Amino acid sequence: MARSARHVLVIEDDAETAEQLADALQTNGYRVDLAVDGEDGLRRGLVGDYVVMTVDRMLPHLDGIKVIRRLREKGILTPALILSALGEIDDRVRGLRAGGDDYLVKPFASREMLARVDALARRSATGIKETMLRIGDLEIDLFARVVRRQGREIELLPREFQLLEYLARNAGQVVSRAMLLQHVWDLHFDPTTNVIDVYVGRVRRKIDSSQSYPLIHTIRGVGFCLRAPE
Amino acid sequence: MLLSKTFRSSTLKIAFLYVIVFSGAIFGVLGYVYWSTVTYVDEILDHSIKTETAVLLETFSTAGRGGLISLIDQRSNDKFFDDWVYLLTDASLVYVAGNLKSWPAAQKTDQARFEFIPADWHRDPTAPSLLRATHEVLPDGYHLLLGRRVHDLARFRDKIIVSLAWVAGLFLILAAAAGISTSRRSVSRIEAINATSRKIIETGLRGRVPMRGTGDEWDGLAQNLNSMLERIEDLVESNRQVSDNVAHDLRTPLTRVRGRLERAYNRQLNVDQYHELIGDVIADLDEILRTFSSLLRITQIEARDRKAGFRILDLTGIAREVAELFDPSAEENGLTLQLAASDRVNVIGDRDLLFDATSNLVDNAINHGGCNGPVTLAVAHGDDGAILSVADRGPGIPVEERKNVLRRFYRLEASRNSPGSGLGLSLVAAVANLHGARIEMADNSPGLRIELQFPILDVTATGMPSQEPN
Repeated sequence: MARSARHVLVIEDDAETAEQLADALQTNGYRVDLAVDGEDGLRRGLVGDYVVMTVDRMLPHLDGIKVIRRLREKGILTPALILSALGEIDDRVRGLRAGGDDYLVKPFASREMLARVDALARRSATGIKETMLRIGDLEIDLFARVVRRQGREIELLPREFQLLEYLARNAGQVVSRAMLLQHVWDLHFDPTTNVIDVYVGRVRRKIDSSQSYPLIHTIRGVGFCLRAPE
Repeated sequence: MLLSKTFRSSTLKIAFLYVIVFSGAIFGVLGYVYWSTVTYVDEILDHSIKTETAVLLETFSTAGRGGLISLIDQRSNDKFFDDWVYLLTDASLVYVAGNLKSWPAAQKTDQARFEFIPADWHRDPTAPSLLRATHEVLPDGYHLLLGRRVHDLARFRDKIIVSLAWVAGLFLILAAAAGISTSRRSVSRIEAINATSRKIIETGLRGRVPMRGTGDEWDGLAQNLNSMLERIEDLVESNRQVSDNVAHDLRTPLTRVRGRLERAYNRQLNVDQYHELIGDVIADLDEILRTFSSLLRITQIEARDRKAGFRILDLTGIAREVAELFDPSAEENGLTLQLAASDRVNVIGDRDLLFDATSNLVDNAINHGGCNGPVTLAVAHGDDGAILSVADRGPGIPVEERKNVLRRFYRLEASRNSPGSGLGLSLVAAVANLHGARIEMADNSPGLRIELQFPILDVTATGMPSQEPN
């Protein structure tokens, strides 16, 4: 996948935050357009061809949720990651209902933000739903709900299967603990304990033990990544 | 002081207003009783005179004058007709028969009904008797006078007036006394509350409204005010503790970070050392941010609109998911996590929050519950509502510490050095409070058993949307 072509719109009124976002995104191969307020963001969003946009919740003149709603009304379906200092669930729900695709509460680690932008960018790139995911010698049959490694079947609990599927759908990219909790358990809070690590650890034992190479990697300070060696 | 307050009190004003209104009503009722009784007695008198007149006239028409005279004589001597006077005269008013000896001097003959005091007839020698009389002119020109003493009626009337006056007077005195004593009572109770309020304004939240142990509404009010003060004092106290703890728990790592950066600033380090230092600093800051978000989250939950976004949820389903999520953690700690929940148990709530709270309880049990035995997560129908409980076999929490552990940043001495923010149970408490659930801690002998007791589910009253697990 050629990353150089991918264009992200960042709508953020705080200059320093905007610069940090742009910096993190550019380092990871995205091209970045900056909009400094809601109206500017709306204008750019309507004409530009972006894979993802990040939208600050609180913006002068036109707030982030209204920007997304207006864009959706005009048929612009660019995935939107809402960045907000308001973390309460009601607000999260309001943001997602307005057409936002993901929600991240400030302050956040830039790697967490990148992981989510990657996931959204990937979503806009792949429209077709696969029935078989292959990463290295791992095969996930989404239809029969069966996992094999080197042709040998591995037994997983339903939730473990969902977790592996989510990692596999985002193979090669970092997935944060909060993203796992959100997409696998449908829970919207940041885990304060290491329970997710331990849970992933068990899945890892089932998938990786006595294999020629590991697939599930822990990325320190961020989360996990499923990838096969080059 | 108290007396002057009593007279200014609104209760007394209202009491007097009532006295006036009720006095009016009482006088109305008594007046009616008086009027109707007197009229009734009066009518009976008139009626008896009319009847007796008819009897005499009838006798005259059947037995003639002789028969009438003999009847009059007979009546005059009859004890039963003691109160009656009879007089039969000829056309020129000369006495013919009867116990009255002469026509009353002042009386004209053209009146049919009149009242008079006879000069020569007294039933009671000490008092002159008033008579009510009728006068008939017989067909032969003779005059018949028939009268009855009305003295009893007058006495009766006087008696009624006197007793009514007594009743009214007594009532007024009683009402005034009751009014004053009621107002004095409420004024003194209000004064007690006022005094407590002034004391609190001047010296702080220590004061309490005195109770009299009568169990009346004033005691009820005093008790509620006292509970309110208790709660406010608790909140102020926990607020104070939070600021102390925020200062401690956030300042300590911040100082550490600052120290690290300062040392790095003053020293020459190589790239790897810088890298390691920055990594450590980020980890420290992440820890601070996490504490900060937890604190914020608790505050947000506490400030949240009750029941906004609540749905009907299956508590058993949530417990099952939590148990499944924590199974590896328990295993890693050498424990088993048992789930004792089978039936669907409905509660109204927020899934994220209940999941988070349950996770915190289970996490505490696994990490602080020792490794002596299983951790049990149970969901059951209680007497009142759903009960979710987490029990471990660890050291437990001493009874006197049980209230404290729900406070923010509070940590038992024993666990001060193990990882954790001291916010887990505060979050559980905030979530429980939002759901109207009670937290009970009990001895699991050995270990701790912590329960969330949910209120009775009232589905019909809420009209909550249901969220079925799929």
